[in-house]
Amino acid sequence: MISGEKITKIILFLASLIVILIASGMVFSLMQGALPAFNEFGLKFIISTDWNPTEGKESYGALPFIVGTIATSIIALLICLPLAFSTSLFIGEIFRGTKLASFIGMMVDMLAGIPSIVYGLWGFYVLRPWIVAMGFNEQGYGVFTAGLILAIMVIPYATSISVEMIKMVQNDLKEAAYSLGATRKDVIFNVILPNARSGIFTSYILAFGRAVGETMAVTMLIGNSNIIPKSLFDTGNTMASLIANQFGEADGLKLSSLVAIALLLFVMTGFINGLGKMLIKKI
Amino acid sequence: MKKIAILLVTFLFLWSCKNSKSEEKLENEKSKPVSLTAAGATFPLPFYNMAFETYTKNTGILLTYGGIGSGGGIRSLKDKVVDFGATDAFLSPKEETEFEAPVVHIPTCIGAVVIAYNLPGMEGLKLSNQNLSDIFLGKITKWNDAKLIATNPNLKLPAMNISVVYRTDGSGTTYIFSDYMSKISANWEQAVGRGKSLQWPVGMGAKGNPGVAGTIKQTVGAIGYIGSEFAFAQKISFAQIQNSKGNFIAPSLETISAAAQGDIPIDTKVMLTNASDANAYPISGFTWFILYKDQNYGGRSKEQAIETVKFLSWIIEKDAQNMAQQVHYAALPEKVALQAKEILKSVIYNAEPLIK
Amino acid sequence: MESILIAKKEITNFFKWDVRFIKDKIFTGFIILFSLITISPIVLIISKLISMGYKQLNFSFFIETAPNTYQAMLAKEAGNIIPGGILNGITGTIFMVFLASLMAIPIGILIGIFLYENGTKRYAKIVKDITDILQGVPSIVLGLISYFWVVKYITNGFSALAGSFALFIMMLPLIIRSTEETFKMIPVSIKEAGFALGVPYHKIIFRILIPSGLSGLITGILLSISRVIGETAPLMLTALGSMAVNLDIEKPTSAIPLLIWEFYNDPNMVDLIWASSLLLMILVLGLNLISKMIISKRNL
Repeated sequence: MISGEKITKIILFLASLIVILIASGMVFSLMQGALPAFNEFGLKFIISTDWNPTEGKESYGALPFIVGTIATSIIALLICLPLAFSTSLFIGEIFRGTKLASFIGMMVDMLAGIPSIVYGLWGFYVLRPWIVAMGFNEQGYGVFTAGLILAIMVIPYATSISVEMIKMVQNDLKEAAYSLGATRKDVIFNVILPNARSGIFTSYILAFGRAVGETMAVTMLIGNSNIIPKSLFDTGNTMASLIANQFGEADGLKLSSLVAIALLLFVMTGFINGLGKMLIKKI
Repeated sequence: MKKIAILLVTFLFLWSCKNSKSEEKLENEKSKPVSLTAAGATFPLPFYNMAFETYTKNTGILLTYGGIGSGGGIRSLKDKVVDFGATDAFLSPKEETEFEAPVVHIPTCIGAVVIAYNLPGMEGLKLSNQNLSDIFLGKITKWNDAKLIATNPNLKLPAMNISVVYRTDGSGTTYIFSDYMSKISANWEQAVGRGKSLQWPVGMGAKGNPGVAGTIKQTVGAIGYIGSEFAFAQKISFAQIQNSKGNFIAPSLETISAAAQGDIPIDTKVMLTNASDANAYPISGFTWFILYKDQNYGGRSKEQAIETVKFLSWIIEKDAQNMAQQVHYAALPEKVALQAKEILKSVIYNAEPLIK
Repeated sequence: MESILIAKKEITNFFKWDVRFIKDKIFTGFIILFSLITISPIVLIISKLISMGYKQLNFSFFIETAPNTYQAMLAKEAGNIIPGGILNGITGTIFMVFLASLMAIPIGILIGIFLYENGTKRYAKIVKDITDILQGVPSIVLGLISYFWVVKYITNGFSALAGSFALFIMMLPLIIRSTEETFKMIPVSIKEAGFALGVPYHKIIFRILIPSGLSGLITGILLSISRVIGETAPLMLTALGSMAVNLDIEKPTSAIPLLIWEFYNDPNMVDLIWASSLLLMILVLGLNLISKMIISKRNL
């Protein structure tokens, strides 16, 4: 007879298999779906800039969307950087432990809770007219607008991890610096940053990973033109928003190309998050 | 132990939910009230929403329509995940060969694609065929281009750049528009062609009719094509288009219906763009439901098949057609409705027609 | 002469101090300014939602299904508020989140326990890494997967089950990780005491681990629900939407975010997006608040 303990252990083990099944099934399905596209275009698919769905002239390539994804995410990261950095110092150091800090922390958490589609609506009806009013471009859509909304969306992720990292810096180090006559700025740049640097860096990598996969808000703001954007205020498209735009009506080779892009997106986010996790483990 | 047993049962239940669906399905179908799912074109969405809701209220049969785009409607039917699909572009012969079984088209109403623009205080812009294609090919880039002034002597067109706006998601609206453009301009047919989504020479994209409508509304100097309902409801100005007889025609229920006055082939698979009637608005088109001719597939019950055909024959009749007009779609001309009825009569289940 | 030199040095030192002091102040000022900029969107978004949406938030908003275009058009032309509500979205969201929870909670907790028990083993580490990868997968990809698996092969059509399956894959890693973290915080001595008394393994799990980590588990579950409740992209590909209330797992179902997307796409109904978004925000923030309260209670 098998003991109760064994059964429990088996059940736990079987449960863990579900994760593996889902993940490997996902990779399998994506690969299977992407196969026709890679068969047709080969690895050129990744560097081709064509996205021509006209019947008879069909030709697909992923480069405009890879560029769009990376461009929007980098813009998001650049905007997010000073803001998340300041906010994490505000919460984790300057006003550490005060009511004010926990209030700001709560507001940042709320930012993380807002659904993507609500960001999209707000971006469409509020942010976009501002972009037009400031004269950046004529219609307000574009890589920059999408990057801006992404920045707001990923700030909470960068902030919350950074706060943890800043709080982890030992107090006696900071106090030693203060007793030597250092100002707060000196302490932040000479004590906290060197100690929390890799952690803060990781938080931005993870924020970048989030920005790469965001869909709805980007779809509503980027302009969805299937070309490589030529400037900050040009329209473009990201991998996720292309899938959201076109999966519904895609078929045949186009469907396969979209799945191939989903596969690339999967690999990309997996790589970025893996990198982030690896760095965090080192800390 | 008991709790583990309960957990196990939950698991088994969940897995069985997933795995033994097909067996359950057969049993369930008899007890459950029939419900129908359709998906596809967004162009007639306001009409379909209304018609589906009314029909559900009147008959108790739960109808669901998902506006996922014409291409989505076609794929959903091919994947057999809906009872019928909806599309603004009829299936090409190549597309039909990709289906496992013959498919029939049922027209439901006539809609128009309007050329909407944003020039404050300038109503009734007239666009000749040449000018229309030149704008969308990027050959005319300024609103005060001499060619535009020539056809609009009464408008003080400003020295502004023209911003072309197009749909980026695949759509029947784009198909109807590009079909018309291909008919009036050899250059267009060469350079761009027709399709549900295209590679555009100029302009910027927006998602869905609302995206294009919103962009035009907020951008002075913009021009784009949208489903007529969106221009009517949001009070966006639209251009008069030159039809095949050379008349400049504004879209209205009358001019849109006029596009369907000519002879319609028996299977109704025809594009109404650039119609020959002197009063026809030239960028008009049927929108269709598509369904399998033999309704006995994938374990569908006969009841399901009957209800599908019943609903489709309701939507081509008077009550539903009046509804279409309330939301600015033109009703099917009587003879087309009769043709559609004939097509429905040819739909079978086990070689037996479903309605007489 | 010498004294003058010393005084001069003192003065320059003083000014150096002063410059540093001012620089420090400016720096702190920037930090405060940037922090305020960071949180300004939340204020702007919520005030926009309230100011645009409060008019629609009446009783019928919660008990009636979405209006059709024509009703909305007539109301708009007459300058009235749009009739009807989003009952089909509310029930659909609750229904699909419930189904997703039904799958994700037990499986997630079991896997969390597995990782907690075997955390150092190679296989468990692989499971943990895969869980992290799953957590990072964009939701649109999950929608696509659920379309291929559930819509095409299991329900043979768009369905609530397909929507909830996508949400389930989203929730799973969150619950696994929060379960594991929660159990790690429970003193090992409690568990060991159980073993010493000869309590069977599964009883230790159900009688000791789960009860003492309950608040942590609930927090994790609530947060994972709040993460998926506003998801739109995967539901577009799987649940499709529905005009009526549907509680059949094999049939298409609506959800609040799906309705927002539909309203946004219909020129006559666009006014409804604000009230619907407001309600969605209230749900998400409410869940966050409850879990915050549980955390702070536990920490007391």
